[in-house]
Amino acid sequence: MFSIITESGFWNPIIWVLSFIVIFLIMYILRSFGNNKFKKQGEKTKVFLSGNPEYASDDMHIKSSNLYWGFTKVLDWVYTVLKRMHNGDVRDYILWFVIIMGTLLLLGVML
Amino acid sequence: MNIIEYLEPAALIILGSLAVSIIGIVFGLLFKGIDRKLSAHMQGRIGPPIIQPFRDVRKLFVKENIIPHTAIPWIFNLAPIMGLVATITILLYIPLGGFQPIASMGPFGDLILVLYLLIIPSLAMVIGGFASGSPYTIVGAQREMATMIAYEFPLAIVIIAIAYRLYLLGDPQLGSVFSLATIAENPVWSISGPFGYIGFGILLLVLVVVTPAELSKIPFDSPEAETEIAGGLLAEYSGRNLAMFYLTDGVKTFVMASLIVALFFPYNLSILLGLQGIPAITVDIIFFLVKVFLVVLFSVTLVRVAVARLKIDQIVSTYWIYLTLIGLIGLIFVIWDQYLSAMLFA
Repeated sequence: MFSIITESGFWNPIIWVLSFIVIFLIMYILRSFGNNKFKKQGEKTKVFLSGNPEYASDDMHIKSSNLYWGFTKVLDWVYTVLKRMHNGDVRDYILWFVIIMGTLLLLGVML
Repeated sequence: MNIIEYLEPAALIILGSLAVSIIGIVFGLLFKGIDRKLSAHMQGRIGPPIIQPFRDVRKLFVKENIIPHTAIPWIFNLAPIMGLVATITILLYIPLGGFQPIASMGPFGDLILVLYLLIIPSLAMVIGGFASGSPYTIVGAQREMATMIAYEFPLAIVIIAIAYRLYLLGDPQLGSVFSLATIAENPVWSISGPFGYIGFGILLLVLVVVTPAELSKIPFDSPEAETEIAGGLLAEYSGRNLAMFYLTDGVKTFVMASLIVALFFPYNLSILLGLQGIPAITVDIIFFLVKVFLVVLFSVTLVRVAVARLKIDQIVSTYWIYLTLIGLIGLIFVIWDQYLSAMLFA
Protein backbone atom coordinates (compact mmCIF):
# COMPACT_ATOMS: atom_id res chain seq x y z
CA MET A 1 0.00 0.00 0.00
CA PHE A 2 1.43 3.36 -1.07
CA SER A 3 4.72 1.68 -2.00
CA ILE A 4 6.30 2.92 -5.21
CA ILE A 5 7.74 -0.20 -6.82
CA THR A 6 9.70 -0.11 -10.05
CA GLU A 7 11.92 -2.67 -11.72
CA SER A 8 14.96 -0.99 -10.20
CA GLY A 9 13.84 -0.13 -6.70
CA PHE A 10 11.09 0.60 -4.24
CA TRP A 11 10.09 3.18 -1.67
CA ASN A 12 7.15 3.82 0.62
CA PRO A 13 6.96 7.56 1.36
CA ILE A 14 4.22 7.14 3.99
CA ILE A 15 6.42 4.88 6.13
CA TRP A 16 9.30 7.34 5.85
CA VAL A 17 7.09 10.29 6.78
CA LEU A 18 5.64 8.33 9.70
CA SER A 19 9.10 7.44 11.00
CA PHE A 20 10.25 11.02 10.40
CA ILE A 21 7.37 12.36 12.50
CA VAL A 22 8.01 9.89 15.33
CA ILE A 23 11.75 10.59 15.42
CA PHE A 24 11.11 14.34 15.11
CA LEU A 25 8.90 14.20 18.21
CA ILE A 26 11.55 12.24 20.12
CA MET A 27 14.32 14.65 19.14
CA TYR A 28 12.12 17.67 19.82
CA ILE A 29 11.52 16.39 23.35
CA LEU A 30 15.25 15.73 23.73
CA ARG A 31 16.04 19.23 22.46
CA SER A 32 13.56 20.76 24.86
CA PHE A 33 15.80 19.63 27.75
CA GLY A 34 18.33 22.15 26.48
CA ASN A 35 18.56 25.77 27.51
CA ASN A 36 16.29 27.79 25.22
CA LYS A 37 17.10 31.22 26.58
CA PHE A 38 19.93 33.67 26.23
CA LYS A 39 20.49 37.14 27.62
CA LYS A 40 20.53 39.66 24.79
CA GLN A 41 23.26 41.79 26.25
CA GLY A 42 26.47 43.16 24.91
CA GLU A 43 27.62 41.89 21.56
CA LYS A 44 26.35 38.34 21.95
CA THR A 45 24.01 38.50 18.97
CA LYS A 46 26.59 40.03 16.66
CA VAL A 47 28.13 37.65 14.14
CA PHE A 48 31.65 36.44 14.81
CA LEU A 49 34.15 38.13 12.51
CA SER A 50 37.43 37.22 14.29
CA GLY A 51 37.80 40.78 15.54
CA ASN A 52 37.50 42.32 12.07
CA PRO A 53 35.33 45.44 11.78
CA GLU A 54 31.75 44.85 10.68
CA TYR A 55 31.02 46.66 7.43
CA ALA A 56 27.68 47.25 5.75
CA SER A 57 26.03 44.06 4.57
CA ASP A 58 26.55 44.98 0.90
CA ASP A 59 30.31 45.28 1.50
CA MET A 60 30.47 41.95 3.33
CA HIS A 61 28.31 40.14 0.82
CA ILE A 62 29.64 36.76 -0.33
CA LYS A 63 28.81 36.19 -3.98
CA SER A 64 27.02 32.95 -4.76
CA SER A 65 29.44 32.53 -7.67
CA ASN A 66 32.10 31.69 -5.05
CA LEU A 67 30.38 28.33 -4.73
CA TYR A 68 31.81 26.99 -7.95
CA TRP A 69 35.29 28.46 -7.65
CA GLY A 70 36.58 24.99 -6.76
CA PHE A 71 35.10 23.52 -9.94
CA THR A 72 36.27 26.30 -12.25
CA LYS A 73 39.79 26.10 -10.81
CA VAL A 74 40.03 22.34 -11.27
CA LEU A 75 38.39 22.31 -14.69
CA ASP A 76 40.20 25.44 -15.85
CA TRP A 77 41.62 23.58 -18.85
CA VAL A 78 38.05 22.77 -20.00
CA TYR A 79 36.68 26.25 -19.38
CA THR A 80 39.59 27.92 -21.22
CA VAL A 81 38.76 25.95 -24.36
CA LEU A 82 35.02 26.51 -23.93
CA LYS A 83 35.45 30.28 -23.41
CA ARG A 84 37.50 30.51 -26.60
CA MET A 85 34.80 28.63 -28.49
CA HIS A 86 32.07 30.97 -27.21
CA ASN A 87 33.08 33.93 -29.36
CA GLY A 88 29.52 35.27 -29.81
CA ASP A 89 29.35 34.42 -33.53
CA VAL A 90 26.15 32.46 -34.19
CA ARG A 91 27.61 30.94 -37.35
CA ASP A 92 30.31 29.18 -35.31
CA TYR A 93 27.66 27.80 -32.93
CA ILE A 94 25.63 26.46 -35.86
CA LEU A 95 28.81 24.93 -37.31
CA TRP A 96 29.41 23.04 -34.04
CA PHE A 97 25.77 21.96 -34.00
CA VAL A 98 26.10 20.58 -37.55
CA ILE A 99 29.38 18.80 -36.73
CA ILE A 100 27.94 17.12 -33.67
CA MET A 101 24.68 16.16 -35.39
CA GLY A 102 26.68 14.69 -38.27
CA THR A 103 28.87 12.71 -35.88
CA LEU A 104 25.83 11.33 -34.05
CA LEU A 105 24.14 10.35 -37.30
CA LEU A 106 27.31 8.62 -38.47
CA LEU A 107 27.59 6.73 -35.20
CA GLY A 108 23.92 5.81 -35.44
CA VAL A 109 24.37 4.43 -38.94
CA MET A 110 27.53 2.51 -38.02
CA LEU A 111 26.09 0.97 -34.89
CA MET B 1 -8.01 -0.66 2.33
CA ASN B 2 -7.78 -2.95 5.37
CA ILE B 3 -6.66 -0.64 8.19
CA ILE B 4 -5.76 -3.58 10.45
CA GLU B 5 -3.24 -4.88 7.93
CA TYR B 6 -1.63 -1.48 7.82
CA LEU B 7 -1.48 -0.97 11.59
CA GLU B 8 1.02 -3.77 12.21
CA PRO B 9 3.87 -2.38 10.08
CA ALA B 10 2.99 1.11 11.31
CA ALA B 11 3.35 0.01 14.95
CA LEU B 12 6.61 -1.75 14.16
CA ILE B 13 7.91 1.36 12.41
CA ILE B 14 7.06 3.50 15.45
CA LEU B 15 8.85 1.09 17.80
CA GLY B 16 11.69 0.74 15.32
CA SER B 17 12.04 4.52 15.11
CA LEU B 18 12.42 4.70 18.88
CA ALA B 19 14.96 1.90 18.82
CA VAL B 20 17.13 3.38 16.06
CA SER B 21 17.02 6.79 17.75
CA ILE B 22 18.57 5.31 20.88
CA ILE B 23 20.97 3.03 18.98
CA GLY B 24 22.08 5.80 16.61
CA ILE B 25 22.76 8.36 19.31
CA VAL B 26 24.38 6.03 21.85
CA PHE B 27 26.66 4.22 19.42
CA GLY B 28 27.28 7.35 17.37
CA LEU B 29 28.63 9.19 20.39
CA LEU B 30 30.49 6.08 21.59
CA PHE B 31 32.34 5.68 18.31
CA LYS B 32 33.04 9.41 18.29
CA GLY B 33 34.65 9.01 21.71
CA ILE B 34 36.65 5.98 20.58
CA ASP B 35 37.80 7.93 17.51
CA ARG B 36 38.99 10.84 19.67
CA LYS B 37 40.77 8.53 22.11
CA LEU B 38 42.56 6.58 19.38
CA SER B 39 43.56 9.68 17.43
CA ALA B 40 44.97 11.15 20.63
CA HIS B 41 47.10 8.07 21.25
CA MET B 42 48.29 8.16 17.64
CA GLN B 43 49.42 11.74 18.24
CA GLY B 44 51.20 10.89 21.50
CA ARG B 45 48.46 12.36 23.70
CA ILE B 46 46.29 10.74 26.34
CA GLY B 47 43.06 12.07 24.95
CA PRO B 48 39.65 12.53 26.53
CA PRO B 49 37.70 9.61 28.04
CA ILE B 50 35.56 7.63 25.64
CA ILE B 51 32.36 9.02 27.19
CA GLN B 52 33.52 12.60 26.57
CA PRO B 53 31.05 13.14 23.66
CA PHE B 54 28.16 12.39 26.06
CA ARG B 55 29.56 15.00 28.44
CA ASP B 56 29.95 17.43 25.55
CA VAL B 57 26.27 17.03 24.63
CA ARG B 58 25.25 17.53 28.24
CA LYS B 59 27.41 20.64 28.45
CA LEU B 60 25.97 22.04 25.22
CA PHE B 61 22.43 21.57 26.54
CA VAL B 62 23.32 23.82 29.46
CA LYS B 63 24.85 26.57 27.32
CA GLU B 64 22.89 29.50 25.94
CA ASN B 65 21.26 29.04 22.55
CA ILE B 66 22.34 32.34 20.98
CA ILE B 67 20.63 33.40 17.76
CA PRO B 68 22.54 36.09 15.83
CA HIS B 69 20.59 39.19 14.86
CA THR B 70 21.36 38.51 11.17
CA ALA B 71 19.90 34.98 11.33
CA ILE B 72 16.48 33.82 10.14
CA PRO B 73 15.34 32.34 13.48
CA TRP B 74 12.91 29.65 12.37
CA ILE B 75 15.32 28.17 9.78
CA PHE B 76 18.27 28.62 12.14
CA ASN B 77 16.45 26.59 14.82
CA LEU B 78 14.86 24.04 12.50
CA ALA B 79 17.92 23.05 10.45
CA PRO B 80 19.80 21.16 13.20
CA ILE B 81 16.85 19.05 14.26
CA MET B 82 15.87 18.26 10.66
CA GLY B 83 19.41 17.09 9.94
CA LEU B 84 19.47 14.85 13.00
CA VAL B 85 16.05 13.34 12.35
CA ALA B 86 16.82 12.61 8.69
CA THR B 87 20.10 10.94 9.67
CA ILE B 88 18.37 8.69 12.19
CA THR B 89 15.72 7.64 9.64
CA ILE B 90 18.50 6.17 7.48
CA LEU B 91 19.16 3.55 10.17
CA LEU B 92 15.71 2.05 9.51
CA TYR B 93 16.88 0.96 6.06
CA ILE B 94 20.33 -0.41 6.94
CA PRO B 95 20.93 -3.93 8.33
CA LEU B 96 22.17 -3.45 11.90
CA GLY B 97 23.73 -6.02 14.21
CA GLY B 98 23.42 -8.85 11.72
CA PHE B 99 19.62 -8.42 11.43
CA GLN B 100 17.57 -7.47 8.41
CA PRO B 101 16.71 -3.75 8.19
CA ILE B 102 13.67 -2.72 10.19
CA ALA B 103 12.11 -1.39 6.99
CA SER B 104 12.59 -4.71 5.18
CA MET B 105 9.18 -6.02 6.37
CA GLY B 106 7.78 -4.51 3.19
CA PRO B 107 8.99 -2.69 0.07
CA PHE B 108 9.65 0.39 2.17
CA GLY B 109 13.05 1.61 1.04
CA ASP B 110 16.17 0.59 -0.82
CA LEU B 111 19.75 1.72 -1.32
CA ILE B 112 18.76 4.56 -3.63
CA LEU B 113 16.61 5.99 -0.84
CA VAL B 114 19.59 5.74 1.54
CA LEU B 115 21.68 7.62 -1.03
CA TYR B 116 19.13 10.43 -1.12
CA LEU B 117 18.67 10.53 2.65
CA LEU B 118 22.45 10.86 3.14
CA ILE B 119 22.23 14.24 1.42
CA ILE B 120 19.74 15.68 3.92
CA PRO B 121 22.06 16.11 6.95
CA SER B 122 24.64 17.97 4.85
CA LEU B 123 21.86 20.01 3.27
CA ALA B 124 20.52 20.88 6.72
CA MET B 125 23.96 22.17 7.70
CA VAL B 126 24.15 24.18 4.47
CA ILE B 127 20.72 25.71 5.09
CA GLY B 128 21.67 26.41 8.71
CA GLY B 129 24.87 28.06 7.52
CA PHE B 130 23.05 30.28 5.03
CA ALA B 131 20.39 31.11 7.63
CA SER B 132 23.06 32.26 10.09
CA GLY B 133 23.77 35.37 8.04
CA SER B 134 27.51 35.49 8.73
CA PRO B 135 30.24 35.66 6.06
CA TYR B 136 32.10 32.74 7.62
CA THR B 137 29.02 30.55 7.71
CA ILE B 138 28.12 31.39 4.12
CA VAL B 139 31.61 30.47 2.93
CA GLY B 140 31.40 27.24 4.94
CA ALA B 141 27.98 26.46 3.49
CA GLN B 142 29.23 27.04 -0.06
CA ARG B 143 32.19 24.76 0.58
CA GLU B 144 29.90 22.08 1.98
CA MET B 145 27.75 22.27 -1.17
CA ALA B 146 30.83 21.98 -3.36
CA THR B 147 32.05 18.99 -1.33
CA MET B 148 28.64 17.30 -1.60
CA ILE B 149 28.59 17.78 -5.37
CA ALA B 150 32.11 16.38 -5.58
CA TYR B 151 31.73 13.14 -3.60
CA GLU B 152 28.31 12.10 -4.93
CA PHE B 153 29.81 10.94 -8.25
CA PRO B 154 32.20 8.26 -6.91
CA LEU B 155 29.59 7.23 -4.34
CA ALA B 156 27.06 6.63 -7.11
CA ILE B 157 29.64 4.57 -9.05
CA VAL B 158 30.11 2.26 -6.05
CA ILE B 159 26.35 1.78 -5.61
CA ILE B 160 25.80 1.11 -9.31
CA ALA B 161 28.66 -1.41 -9.41
CA ILE B 162 27.18 -3.45 -6.57
CA ALA B 163 23.68 -3.34 -8.02
CA TYR B 164 24.92 -4.23 -11.49
CA ARG B 165 26.88 -7.24 -10.21
CA LEU B 166 23.73 -8.55 -8.57
CA TYR B 167 21.79 -7.87 -11.75
CA LEU B 168 24.30 -9.96 -13.75
CA LEU B 169 23.40 -12.98 -11.63
CA GLY B 170 20.11 -13.04 -13.52
CA ASP B 171 18.30 -14.76 -10.65
CA PRO B 172 14.54 -13.98 -10.77
CA GLN B 173 14.22 -14.96 -7.08
CA LEU B 174 16.78 -12.38 -6.07
CA GLY B 175 14.46 -9.43 -5.56
CA SER B 176 15.45 -5.86 -6.23
CA VAL B 177 19.19 -5.42 -6.79
CA PHE B 178 19.06 -2.15 -4.83
CA SER B 179 17.55 -3.78 -1.76
CA LEU B 180 19.96 -3.77 1.19
CA ALA B 181 18.46 -7.02 2.43
CA THR B 182 19.29 -8.64 -0.94
CA ILE B 183 22.82 -7.21 -0.91
CA ALA B 184 23.35 -8.48 2.66
CA GLU B 185 22.19 -11.97 1.67
CA ASN B 186 24.45 -11.99 -1.41
CA PRO B 187 27.81 -10.54 -0.36
CA VAL B 188 29.77 -9.16 -3.31
CA TRP B 189 32.80 -11.31 -2.51
CA SER B 190 30.69 -14.49 -2.78
CA ILE B 191 29.29 -13.70 -6.22
CA SER B 192 32.46 -12.42 -7.90
CA GLY B 193 35.47 -13.97 -9.55
CA PRO B 194 39.09 -12.83 -9.22
CA PHE B 195 38.58 -9.71 -11.35
CA GLY B 196 35.49 -8.91 -9.33
CA TYR B 197 37.62 -9.05 -6.16
CA ILE B 198 39.99 -6.50 -7.67
CA GLY B 199 37.09 -4.32 -8.79
CA PHE B 200 35.27 -4.42 -5.47
CA GLY B 201 38.54 -3.90 -3.61
CA ILE B 202 39.03 -0.71 -5.60
CA LEU B 203 35.42 0.34 -4.98
CA LEU B 204 35.77 -0.32 -1.25
CA LEU B 205 38.79 1.96 -1.24
CA VAL B 206 36.74 4.62 -3.06
CA LEU B 207 33.95 4.35 -0.49
CA VAL B 208 36.46 4.55 2.37
CA VAL B 209 37.77 7.82 0.87
CA VAL B 210 34.22 9.16 0.33
CA THR B 211 33.35 8.57 4.01
CA PRO B 212 35.47 11.37 5.55
CA ALA B 213 33.95 13.85 3.09
CA GLU B 214 30.43 12.70 4.01
CA LEU B 215 31.32 13.26 7.64
CA SER B 216 33.29 16.50 7.05
CA LYS B 217 36.41 15.04 8.62
CA ILE B 218 40.03 15.88 7.83
CA PRO B 219 41.22 16.09 5.06
CA PHE B 220 37.79 17.05 3.69
CA ASP B 221 36.61 19.29 6.53
CA SER B 222 37.08 22.49 4.53
CA PRO B 223 33.43 23.50 5.23
CA GLU B 224 34.11 23.43 8.98
CA ALA B 225 37.71 24.59 8.95
CA GLU B 226 38.21 25.77 12.53
CA THR B 227 41.57 27.36 11.89
CA GLU B 228 40.52 29.04 8.67
CA ILE B 229 36.90 30.17 8.74
CA ALA B 230 36.27 29.95 12.49
CA GLY B 231 34.13 26.85 12.38
CA GLY B 232 32.53 27.54 9.01
CA LEU B 233 28.86 26.78 8.83
CA LEU B 234 28.68 26.02 12.56
CA ALA B 235 30.35 29.29 13.60
CA GLU B 236 27.14 30.92 14.87
CA TYR B 237 25.63 27.81 16.45
CA SER B 238 25.74 27.27 20.21
CA GLY B 239 23.82 25.55 22.96
CA ARG B 240 21.19 22.97 22.13
CA ASN B 241 21.25 23.72 18.38
CA LEU B 242 24.96 22.93 18.28
CA ALA B 243 24.21 19.83 20.35
CA MET B 244 21.79 18.69 17.63
CA PHE B 245 24.48 19.10 14.97
CA TYR B 246 26.98 17.34 17.25
CA LEU B 247 24.57 14.40 17.57
CA THR B 248 24.03 14.45 13.79
CA ASP B 249 27.76 14.08 13.27
CA GLY B 250 27.93 11.11 15.63
CA VAL B 251 24.88 9.36 14.17
CA LYS B 252 26.07 9.95 10.59
CA THR B 253 29.43 8.36 11.46
CA PHE B 254 27.57 5.30 12.68
CA VAL B 255 25.32 5.35 9.58
CA MET B 256 28.19 5.53 7.08
CA ALA B 257 30.18 2.82 8.82
CA SER B 258 27.08 0.57 9.03
CA LEU B 259 26.44 1.17 5.33
CA ILE B 260 29.97 0.10 4.39
CA VAL B 261 29.62 -3.00 6.56
CA ALA B 262 26.22 -3.79 4.98
CA LEU B 263 27.54 -3.37 1.43
CA PHE B 264 30.89 -5.09 1.73
CA PHE B 265 31.02 -7.11 4.97
CA PRO B 266 27.49 -8.34 5.81
CA TYR B 267 28.72 -11.65 7.22
CA ASN B 268 27.54 -13.05 10.57
CA LEU B 269 29.87 -14.86 12.93
CA SER B 270 27.12 -17.00 14.50
CA ILE B 271 26.80 -19.10 11.33
CA LEU B 272 30.53 -19.87 11.38
CA LEU B 273 30.41 -20.78 15.08
CA GLY B 274 27.21 -22.80 14.70
CA LEU B 275 25.36 -20.78 17.32
CA GLN B 276 21.63 -20.28 17.63
CA GLY B 277 19.20 -18.25 19.70
CA ILE B 278 20.40 -15.61 22.18
CA PRO B 279 24.14 -16.50 21.94
CA ALA B 280 23.94 -16.13 18.16
CA ILE B 281 22.25 -12.73 18.42
CA THR B 282 24.81 -11.55 20.99
CA VAL B 283 27.79 -12.70 18.93
CA ASP B 284 26.35 -11.12 15.75
CA ILE B 285 25.77 -7.77 17.44
CA ILE B 286 29.27 -7.71 18.91
CA PHE B 287 30.77 -8.75 15.55
CA PHE B 288 28.79 -6.00 13.80
CA LEU B 289 30.08 -3.38 16.27
CA VAL B 290 33.65 -4.62 15.79
CA LYS B 291 33.26 -4.26 12.01
CA VAL B 292 31.83 -0.75 12.41
CA PHE B 293 34.72 0.15 14.70
CA LEU B 294 37.26 -1.08 12.12
CA VAL B 295 35.58 0.94 9.36
CA VAL B 296 35.63 4.06 11.55
CA LEU B 297 39.26 3.40 12.44
CA PHE B 298 40.48 3.09 8.85
CA SER B 299 38.21 5.61 7.12
CA VAL B 300 38.06 8.35 9.76
CA THR B 301 40.63 8.07 12.56
CA LEU B 302 43.73 6.99 10.65
CA VAL B 303 43.08 9.36 7.78
CA ARG B 304 42.45 12.45 9.92
CA VAL B 305 45.55 11.88 11.97
CA ALA B 306 47.81 11.22 8.99
CA VAL B 307 46.99 14.05 6.60
CA ALA B 308 46.31 17.76 6.58
CA ARG B 309 43.23 19.58 5.31
CA LEU B 310 42.73 19.91 1.58
CA LYS B 311 41.61 23.09 -0.15
CA ILE B 312 38.20 23.07 -1.78
CA ASP B 313 39.65 22.86 -5.31
CA GLN B 314 41.83 19.94 -4.17
CA ILE B 315 38.73 18.24 -2.77
CA VAL B 316 36.93 18.69 -6.09
CA SER B 317 39.86 17.33 -8.08
CA THR B 318 40.27 14.40 -5.65
CA TYR B 319 36.68 13.28 -6.16
CA TRP B 320 35.76 14.42 -9.67
CA ILE B 321 39.01 13.39 -11.35
CA TYR B 322 41.04 10.86 -9.39
CA LEU B 323 38.40 8.96 -7.45
CA THR B 324 35.95 8.98 -10.35
CA LEU B 325 38.59 7.48 -12.64
CA ILE B 326 39.59 4.93 -10.01
CA GLY B 327 35.94 4.11 -9.39
CA LEU B 328 35.29 3.65 -13.11
CA ILE B 329 38.27 1.28 -13.34
CA GLY B 330 36.78 -0.70 -10.47
CA LEU B 331 33.39 -0.70 -12.21
CA ILE B 332 34.99 -1.98 -15.44
CA PHE B 333 36.64 -4.83 -13.55
CA VAL B 334 33.27 -5.72 -12.00
CA ILE B 335 31.46 -5.60 -15.36
CA TRP B 336 34.10 -7.68 -17.12
CA ASP B 337 34.50 -10.08 -14.20
CA GLN B 338 32.13 -12.65 -15.71
CA TYR B 339 33.75 -12.62 -19.14
CA LEU B 340 37.38 -12.32 -18.07
CA SER B 341 37.12 -14.97 -15.38
CA ALA B 342 35.38 -17.39 -17.78
CA MET B 343 38.05 -16.71 -20.45
CA LEU B 344 41.11 -17.06 -18.27
CA PHE B 345 40.01 -19.64 -15.74
CA ALA B 346 37.68 -21.88 -17.77
